[in-house]
Amino acid sequence: MAMAIDDAFEVDFSCYSTSTTTTDDDPACTWNDWGSPVVDWGSLSSERDEFQDLIESMMDDGTGFELPRVDNETSNSVFVSIDTAVADDETKGEDFKGLRLVHLLMAAAEALTGATKSRELARVILVRLKELVSPSDGTNMERLAAYFTEALQGLLEGYRGGHSKYLVANGSHHHRDKHHQSDMLAAFQLLQDMSPYVKFGHFTANQAILEAVTHDRRIHIVDYDIMEGIQWASLMEALVSRKEGPPTPHLRITALSRGNNGCQSIGSIQETGRRLVAFAASIGQPFSFHQCRLDSDETFRPSAVKLVRGEALVINCMLHSPHFSHRPPGSVASFLSGAKTLNPRLVTLVEEETGPIGDGDFMGRFMDSLHHYSAMFDSLEAGFPMQCRARTLVERVILGPRIAGSVTQIYRTRNEDESGPWWEWLKSVGYKTVNISFGNHCQAKLLLGLFNDGYRVEELANNRLVLGWKSRRLLSASIWTSPPPSDSGL
Amino acid sequence: MFQPKKPSSMNSHDRSMCVQGDSGLVLTTDPKPRLRWTVELHERFVDAVTQLGGPDKATPKTIMRVMGVKGLTLYHLKSHLQKFRLGKQPHKELNDHSMKDDLQRNVASSSGMMARSMNEMQMEVQRRLHEQLEVQRHLQLRIEAQGKYMQSILEKACQTLAGENMAAGGYKGMGNHGVPDIGTMKDFGPLSFPPFQDLNIYGSDHLDLQHNMDRPLLDSFISNNDNTCLGKKRTSPYSGSGKSPLIWSDELRLQDLGTAPSCLGPQDDSFKTDQIQLTPPNTELDSISEIYDAKPVHSSDGIGEKKFDVSPKLERPSPRRAPLQAERMNPMINRGSVAQGRNSPFR
Repeated sequence: MAMAIDDAFEVDFSCYSTSTTTTDDDPACTWNDWGSPVVDWGSLSSERDEFQDLIESMMDDGTGFELPRVDNETSNSVFVSIDTAVADDETKGEDFKGLRLVHLLMAAAEALTGATKSRELARVILVRLKELVSPSDGTNMERLAAYFTEALQGLLEGYRGGHSKYLVANGSHHHRDKHHQSDMLAAFQLLQDMSPYVKFGHFTANQAILEAVTHDRRIHIVDYDIMEGIQWASLMEALVSRKEGPPTPHLRITALSRGNNGCQSIGSIQETGRRLVAFAASIGQPFSFHQCRLDSDETFRPSAVKLVRGEALVINCMLHSPHFSHRPPGSVASFLSGAKTLNPRLVTLVEEETGPIGDGDFMGRFMDSLHHYSAMFDSLEAGFPMQCRARTLVERVILGPRIAGSVTQIYRTRNEDESGPWWEWLKSVGYKTVNISFGNHCQAKLLLGLFNDGYRVEELANNRLVLGWKSRRLLSASIWTSPPPSDSGL
Repeated sequence: MFQPKKPSSMNSHDRSMCVQGDSGLVLTTDPKPRLRWTVELHERFVDAVTQLGGPDKATPKTIMRVMGVKGLTLYHLKSHLQKFRLGKQPHKELNDHSMKDDLQRNVASSSGMMARSMNEMQMEVQRRLHEQLEVQRHLQLRIEAQGKYMQSILEKACQTLAGENMAAGGYKGMGNHGVPDIGTMKDFGPLSFPPFQDLNIYGSDHLDLQHNMDRPLLDSFISNNDNTCLGKKRTSPYSGSGKSPLIWSDELRLQDLGTAPSCLGPQDDSFKTDQIQLTPPNTELDSISEIYDAKPVHSSDGIGEKKFDVSPKLERPSPRRAPLQAERMNPMINRGSVAQGRNSPFR
């Protein structure tokens, strides 16, 4: 802690001390773009005292954050020792604590990526944040801020270019000890029980698949990220008990496996395969399982997938798992464009729904991500207000890594123009939409009804269902097809 | 989408004139001055709301503070916020209606009331209702299938862990249960999912819903945590059912997997008691553990019948036979309520 304070001496705030410029001209003061903090920037006279007050009010939470008084010669520094206890009772409210955390996060993010970068400033702010929040206690906002702080910390350290705890060259997640596999399972089970996030994606995709293959005898599913294979248990059950068309069609699943990463290693995929085979046998579903190995750069080679004539090909793409963001860039695109050449009967895509991208800059998307996970934390709490330890486990094992991944992803793609949702991309490369049926929409509504009132499902396009919590959209499930061109000559 | 009222056109034909005060607010000159929500003002409003995390989280008070506009009162903000919320969620209203109304409305609008006869429309509605019932039935089956599959994963994971620990000799006092009792593991689920029961029947029914699972510990926690909190309609329908006992014990169980060296049957509620503070090692012991004394797993004995002698500090020794018994619940209940008291100021 003392070390970090020492850094404050080097902080140069000259960019902020220019006076009397309007916020538009001043390249540093871009804070106004996303709303003013507690003070109205427009009316800020930019005199040094008022600016100090602003920083003080942001940093202060009544416990007295002391920095050594800075020599007057470095007149640009605004750090002064801050007295304890701002007298205003109003500001002690939880809302304002939360707001203060948001502003600190924004400031740190801005310091990392804004027009005037200052890693030192970012580091100081992150230190301050870490004092204020902890991932295992406090309000939702505080725990959320803790994870975002860690994520930003990861960016900061990765920035150095060397080996960091958070980001390793091949993108795999090394920070903290690797979660025990059993921790992962426990957390995943809990997440499934506490919220509809997992089931919504699986069931919507499965229903669409069932409808698309009603009259087929053979079905082949290529799964981008099979994980534990949970999605397929309910599909098998539905196939076994289907009434229309040929009874109990043969199901074949090809799972993509990656060489290095733990969760999708060949060994664990094989284990999943064994489990699925056993489960299928137990319910009488004809089934076979295959793997398709990807290289470390995860380029998908369509020829690597064995196809059988007469089978209905389905491509399944679940993109919202915790380890998703650590894919090499281009992996998903390579998969989906490669898949198109196979003319699949159906493509099911489930991904996180982001807010409007705006001009796609880092800050906007960072804030969007903050709101996204804030809604998720809220939804878990609303459903299970008492099971805090269960929620903390889920937050730590699943949401925390997702937050880190999301922030990293946003940072990595901050200068790229095309960072929109995958369903938009699918549309642009020529996939056709497939309508969501009445039954599918109905199933989603029923499913949500089993959880909390706050969840809702919207049909945002004829082929797209979106799960949301209150006014925030969270998860998108979309259905596509790529029929063979009608004039294909053989 | 919610549309802000357009700024007044300063038209002399308007009955009321608008003046712009020093604060920048536009007020009418009616006998009773009303605030005009100009585009700019509305944009600042939306800004503030976004900062605060959306219309559901923002309150008039905080919005007022963040906007920092003189002359804006809570009253103005309250009504504006309400309209904003409604405007933002047109779909919510539809969701609230019953399915049948929905259907009838949809069918009526899609089929064109004039063109079809009432009979046809009714048939269409019937058809859709039937389809919905089918969907309900299928949904339940599918959820159960998934639960069954999850369970098989958990079983294997537990087995593996127990196997590893056996090899490492990491625990003792297991008696003849060197491997976890798969039979009791099966008691975990399939997630007995009562989707279509009235999920408000929390209090009295949770014992019934347990059937093969004995979870006295869990009951005590849940039943003595504030029932009004859990019993609130639809706030936590899930925990109102037999589900949350499952979840809680899953957590305990599965955290066992992560840290404790053994997996045991569900009858071992006192054992689970101990487990609470053992897992996970990296989180701080919470207040529950102060009540249930820190007691290592290993000191349990007499596992043969899946029973334990509870730590001496817990007042009641465990009876010889495990399952759900009122007497055993009592000490737990007392502790549960204390725990709840400690835990309650959670936000």
